[in-house]
Amino acid sequence: MTHKRQQPPSFYSKLFEWFCKENVHDELQGDLEEEFNINYRTQGKTHAHRIYKREVIKMLRPSVIKKFKSQRHYNHTAMFRNYSIVALRSLMRNKLFSSINIIGLSVSMAVGLLAITFVSEIYSYDNFHKNGSRIYRVTSDISRDNQGTTFYATSSILTGIRYSQEFSSAEKVAPIFRGMSGDLTLEETVISIKGIYSNNDFFDIFTFPLLYGNPETALSEPYTVVLTEDLAMRLFGKTDVVGEVLEYSTKDQLTITGVAKNPPRNSHLQFDAIGALQTLVVRNSSVATNWRSHTASYLYILVPDGQKLDRIQSDLNQLAQQENAKVKGYTITPGLEAMNDIFPGRPRSNQFGTVMPSKNVNSIMVLALIVILAACFNYTNLSIARSIKRSKEVGVRKVVGARRFQLISQFMIEAIMVSLLALVIAFFLFKLIKPGFLTLNFYVSRTTSLELTIQVYFYFLAFAILVGALAGLLPASMMSKLKPVSILKGVSSVISGKGIGLQKVLTAIQFTLSMGFFILVTLVSKQYRYALNYDLGFSTENVLNVSVNGNDHQLLINAFQQFPEVTGISTSTMLPSVGSSQYAFAKADDPSDSVITYTFNVDEAYLSNMGHELIAGNDFTKGSSDGKVVVNEMFLKQLNLGTPIEALNKQITYFQKDWTIIGVVKDFNARMVNEPMAPFIFRSGEFRPSYINLRLATNDITNTMSKVSEAWTKIDPNHDLEAMFYSDEIERAYSEVSSSVKTYGLLAGVAISISILGLLGMAVYTTEIRLKELTIRKVLGATISNLVLLLSKSFLAIFIISAAIAIPAAYYMFQQTIMAESVNRISIGFWELSGGALLIIAIAFFTISSQTLKAAKSNPAENLRNE
Amino acid sequence: MKGTHLGEFQEIVLLTIMVLNENAYGVSIKREIKSRADRAISRGALHTALSRMEDKGLIKSWQGEANKERGGMPKRYYEVTNKGIAALKDAKDIRDQLWNEVPKLRLQHNYA
Repeated sequence: MTHKRQQPPSFYSKLFEWFCKENVHDELQGDLEEEFNINYRTQGKTHAHRIYKREVIKMLRPSVIKKFKSQRHYNHTAMFRNYSIVALRSLMRNKLFSSINIIGLSVSMAVGLLAITFVSEIYSYDNFHKNGSRIYRVTSDISRDNQGTTFYATSSILTGIRYSQEFSSAEKVAPIFRGMSGDLTLEETVISIKGIYSNNDFFDIFTFPLLYGNPETALSEPYTVVLTEDLAMRLFGKTDVVGEVLEYSTKDQLTITGVAKNPPRNSHLQFDAIGALQTLVVRNSSVATNWRSHTASYLYILVPDGQKLDRIQSDLNQLAQQENAKVKGYTITPGLEAMNDIFPGRPRSNQFGTVMPSKNVNSIMVLALIVILAACFNYTNLSIARSIKRSKEVGVRKVVGARRFQLISQFMIEAIMVSLLALVIAFFLFKLIKPGFLTLNFYVSRTTSLELTIQVYFYFLAFAILVGALAGLLPASMMSKLKPVSILKGVSSVISGKGIGLQKVLTAIQFTLSMGFFILVTLVSKQYRYALNYDLGFSTENVLNVSVNGNDHQLLINAFQQFPEVTGISTSTMLPSVGSSQYAFAKADDPSDSVITYTFNVDEAYLSNMGHELIAGNDFTKGSSDGKVVVNEMFLKQLNLGTPIEALNKQITYFQKDWTIIGVVKDFNARMVNEPMAPFIFRSGEFRPSYINLRLATNDITNTMSKVSEAWTKIDPNHDLEAMFYSDEIERAYSEVSSSVKTYGLLAGVAISISILGLLGMAVYTTEIRLKELTIRKVLGATISNLVLLLSKSFLAIFIISAAIAIPAAYYMFQQTIMAESVNRISIGFWELSGGALLIIAIAFFTISSQTLKAAKSNPAENLRNE
Repeated sequence: MKGTHLGEFQEIVLLTIMVLNENAYGVSIKREIKSRADRAISRGALHTALSRMEDKGLIKSWQGEANKERGGMPKRYYEVTNKGIAALKDAKDIRDQLWNEVPKLRLQHNYA
């Protein structure tokens, strides 16, 4: 045979060689290779490889596998029992060390448990869809002229309709419109709902099973609706309601064609009802026909098995190209996002509900990991420190015949026992901090419940074992390395040489972390307070904002005006300085550039009610405010309109209309504190207000609130009162900063307590070892302060190095992450940066000296007597 | 039967080895069984059968030559021992006897 020899897959050959009996290996391997070569020639490479692999796997049978000898002959159970007993005894003997270890580990493990529960819950999102891996969402990256690109989670319904009609690359296409909000009426019952519109494909793509009704036809006809179980119960008191008719928003009669199971909590799509998309089409609603109408519509598709995404993408691109050509200065680039990448996912505008950014999930995992490592270091450090006392045990075990592997497993078991004990405490701590975590920020509070499932308990256990193994690994491998001869000879510092260097590094890492977190907390909380107390340029104190919620605002105003506590009352379409904004380009007659200008509508009472300072011109007056605007100073400056007096009565163009400037107010910040002041225009005239601003003068807030609430219920019994004090509103707007304060605060607390505990352990240990030395020094005339200094010296270097790393690192972190986009920053001085470090060093010194003092003050005779 | 009861698969392997005469080794046995009985067996399964029968003394084996295609690994040739032939004969006798006892009428009836 003169064929070229082909090499079979090497991994499988190696695997086979590894498990095959030596005496038959050559024969079998030879046969396999020969056959492989024949197959290679006759059936081609792929087949030959597949057959070869299958043959190797089928070799896994008793007649072929060799006997793996290792430790087959040891008495496992007895040894493990012995290990556990020894571990328990050594835990009991060193109560201080054990409790330091257990407490330190449990504190950090509580954080770990939190992270595990959180992450496993977040990743359970949308995992119940049977077709999950084939579901994709079509996203839109929208570029407007001069305004950069915004990434939207949405797509216009037109995209969905055209795509499903003209292309066949997707198996199912479900456009979703999130605009079915309003009241459903059944006789006396009125329930306001948040529903969606979609088509029949919706039920094929997603796993939202119908209890009643036919998913093939439920949403075929216009003016039909599928309710959720829950909504059906609330309306009818039963779920079998197919065929009933409801009134929607006092206009449409909707026929119920199905009842769906409630969407599970871990679905990012949440709805009370699904209306037929066809309704929008027959109504000829612009939502369904406009390419640019995409603010609340989504497109989900089911990709056929084995279909390449490229084809779908190119179909979508083709469609987008045609539509983009019709609109000027507006380009939509469609993209595909897998269902699994939606939640948690990258931030996009107009998500369906709250979507946890994957950034948040990752940072929580990283921070938890850091804290856990810090606690593992404690265990490692203290175990190494203690190892001298246990070196005799190791020596004896080795002489009697213990293998290194057995010694390692002994010490690992000890560590795992400690971490399992810590798990019990950690579990209670976890229960304690859980409610706090749930209110951390709105991402967390809206998406997670931190429910404990069996799976999560299993993770907890695995986690504890892993932590134990991690903590025990270093001490175990160090102790098992010892040579019996040198131990039994009584060389006292067998380990100290290597061990101490490592201990110092680990302690330094711990203190760097503690200081770093502490400094971050200081900085972030200062920034937070700064933002809350920032002078916005108008007065927010004692202002209660009531959301109008679609009611007749005049009725509400009349009702509120009755209360003596209400000293001022005004209306607006928006609230400034809490994160939402509306803007457009404004132009003056002067042919200068147009500028982005923020705006909202106010009534004639607003400016005085909110304490805006008018520096030129007049306020709005009732009935004659049409076409007139009040602007701020920044607006004049950016459009070169001269001084406030000069600017009066000048004309500007805004929203394609001409306006006359009648007044100028002092600059104020209508956006968040981290953004710069911007040009602003107040408009008035006819508008539908969203908020009523009540300025209150009252000492009894509860009483006033209940009066307001009562008045509200009289006017609108169907909706709850939504009212919030301006200061609370602002606090909510900065909740991201406040959640950073909480997170770093917790982590700093944990890291500091762990490292101080560890330090205490080390200090106890060092004084114990050097007790005789200290006593002799004392006898020879050393003062107490000499002794304290002697022991603290080695730690001092660690602290200085830690501070030198932690301060710049924390400063950098603060500037890069929290402050990256902020314009108005706090000033950072010496104390903000080094205060935390100094405080921690002070605590650390106190810890060390407490131990040293005890030793130094004791009676020398006691310590030297017994030798 | 003296404890040399043959399994069905073992019987086929033994016969195949005898058919192949001088050239019976792993690959050739496998291929022969595949072509005659249309039965795809894994080399592992064949090994189990061969090693059991060798333990029972039904076959014996010797190491043969190696070649490049086998990655330099030697072949192992198999040969049926007298004991093996006796066991095969026993098996055949039992079957022949049973076949002879089957009523003629029934056979015709079924084949018809």
